[in-house]
Amino acid sequence: MQTKRLTRDAMLTGVALIIFIVEAQIPPLTSVPGIKMGLANIITVYAAFAIGPADAALILAARILLGSVVAGNLSTLMYSAAGGLLCLLAMLGLRRVLSESQLWVASVIGAAAHNLGQIAVAVAVTRTPALLAYLPVLLMSGMIAGLFTGLCAQALVKRMSRK
Amino acid sequence: MNRLRFAPLLALALVLSFSLSACAAASRTFFAMDTVMTVSAPLAGDALLAACEEEVRRLEALFSVTEPDSEIARLNETGEAALSDDTARVLGFALEEAALTQGALDVTLYPVVRAWGFTTGDYRVPDDDELAALLARVGWTRVELDGGTVRVPEGTMVDLGSVAKGYASDRLAALLREGGVQSALIDLGGNIYGLGAKADGSPWRIGVRDPKDPSGLAGALSVTDKAVVTSGSYERNFTAPDGTVYGHIFDPATGRPAENGLISVTVVGGSGLECDALSTALYVMGPDRACALLETLDGVEAVLIDDQGAFWITEGLKNAFTPMGAYAWATINWIQK
Amino acid sequence: MGNEKVTLKGNGRRSEPLSGKIKFPIQTRVWIGTLAIAFAVCLAAAAVVWLLPGSRRVARVSVDGAVVREIDLSAVTAEGSFVVEGVGGTNTVTVRPGGVCVSAADCPDQVCVKRGWLEGGAAPIVCLPHRLVIELVSGGDGNALDAISG
Repeated sequence: MQTKRLTRDAMLTGVALIIFIVEAQIPPLTSVPGIKMGLANIITVYAAFAIGPADAALILAARILLGSVVAGNLSTLMYSAAGGLLCLLAMLGLRRVLSESQLWVASVIGAAAHNLGQIAVAVAVTRTPALLAYLPVLLMSGMIAGLFTGLCAQALVKRMSRK
Repeated sequence: MNRLRFAPLLALALVLSFSLSACAAASRTFFAMDTVMTVSAPLAGDALLAACEEEVRRLEALFSVTEPDSEIARLNETGEAALSDDTARVLGFALEEAALTQGALDVTLYPVVRAWGFTTGDYRVPDDDELAALLARVGWTRVELDGGTVRVPEGTMVDLGSVAKGYASDRLAALLREGGVQSALIDLGGNIYGLGAKADGSPWRIGVRDPKDPSGLAGALSVTDKAVVTSGSYERNFTAPDGTVYGHIFDPATGRPAENGLISVTVVGGSGLECDALSTALYVMGPDRACALLETLDGVEAVLIDDQGAFWITEGLKNAFTPMGAYAWATINWIQK
Repeated sequence: MGNEKVTLKGNGRRSEPLSGKIKFPIQTRVWIGTLAIAFAVCLAAAAVVWLLPGSRRVARVSVDGAVVREIDLSAVTAEGSFVVEGVGGTNTVTVRPGGVCVSAADCPDQVCVKRGWLEGGAAPIVCLPHRLVIELVSGGDGNALDAISG
């Protein structure tokens, strides 16, 4: 039982990490700091809904840690950790009230929460409240990206449960 | 009845608010040591501010080279004088700084400065022979200070002008502190002492004059409880008939206005006396020697501007100095200690 | 497949004929509405932030929260550049009359360079890797000098 769980979580972490690293190679889409697709979140959303909170948190934490070791640095870690934590909390909170078909809602709100965490860290790090001016744009991009990753995760959940 | 009962209270409130608003504007401006001085201390009474002016006048009477009764004038006249504590302390410090700066600060330059006309306003350019003769009388090592007595050889003269205002700012800061003042701004003709912080707790914002355009600024410093003294060639200078501009800061090595690569030196530190002495000495020393000296000094920060328009700033001012105006994007070289 | 009830268990978009009208359960519709409104609010806020009239003309450059330069852009007459030492790297800042930009940087993401000229609005130029921020502030606020040394 334990081995199966370990294998499954490790595999999901690996997949998330690969997505994360591949995405990190793509140059930023816009001139707004912090905007990205966040495709690795497909795995987080999937884990949060199809497996469980503890496993989702573990996979996310492992992915963030390894991701910043491989494709980033300490400051990326701070942004990812704050964003990831908020995102996970939001999604786990929404998990109870949402049906499987509304999974994308959790992803959208989770992504927005992620951006909120990111910008909070950015304001704290640079000590510049003016960065909040980016919040609306970030939230918009987060919602779009969250919708996409959410729909992907939803499809994934459906396909995996079908087997 | 009720209305009457409150009348005294109302009157008291009125009187209090008036006196408070009067206090809030408390500052005193006067002319001394050849410059305009302003002491602003919102919570100091008039008596304390008057005492400040009195103190400056007392020091001026001790240090002046032109008042025949001053201790310094008597020393220059007779070659020997008994000094008060203040004069002995200032002269002693100036001699220490002279040793530290290898003579870049020299209180015996007076005959040279006088020959150029900077003391009287009758400016002229002495020729080489005259300067050589004058320089033979110059040298801080000629001053023999022994406790309260000082001696100088025939022909040598002492002028504390390069340190007097700095010392005066220290004295006024001490006076105000003794009077219970925790926040005051002392501006002795551009020699600034920011006592404590501003009334709202924020640091004093002191502008540094643009040496090339004295109506503009080269930057601003945020300081708390510090003296800020700037030496720049713009303050007093004259243009010779041939168009050459001569500054008022002299190089003791040449007897001519110092042109060693710096056009402005601002020193920030806890002692106005030290800042005043160093701002002159560093200006004379030029960028290389000035940076080397600053690296060894504790508790003293500085902003230097060289003749290329670049800054040399000690790292301690990294968060305190903001370049401005024509210097807003000048090169900054950081001096590490 | 085409007859699958999509209204019951929600998502059936994949099985729904492309031409068919998608019906969402009421709860899902409420979510869609809420998120759409949130999105619209963000859009409006972003528009306000971006199109804010450019009355503020002093570019404040800070690194790690400390102001390193303050440039009155209305006083700039010619284009000029200077190098700012950020945390772990440098950014070359260029100013021109009324505008400021990061013209070069050795940061990995180059977001600050791509941002282009900052000439108005409330959104600052940021280089998060170097902790550098360039924002426009109105001149004179809290910057008044208490005295001038010299």
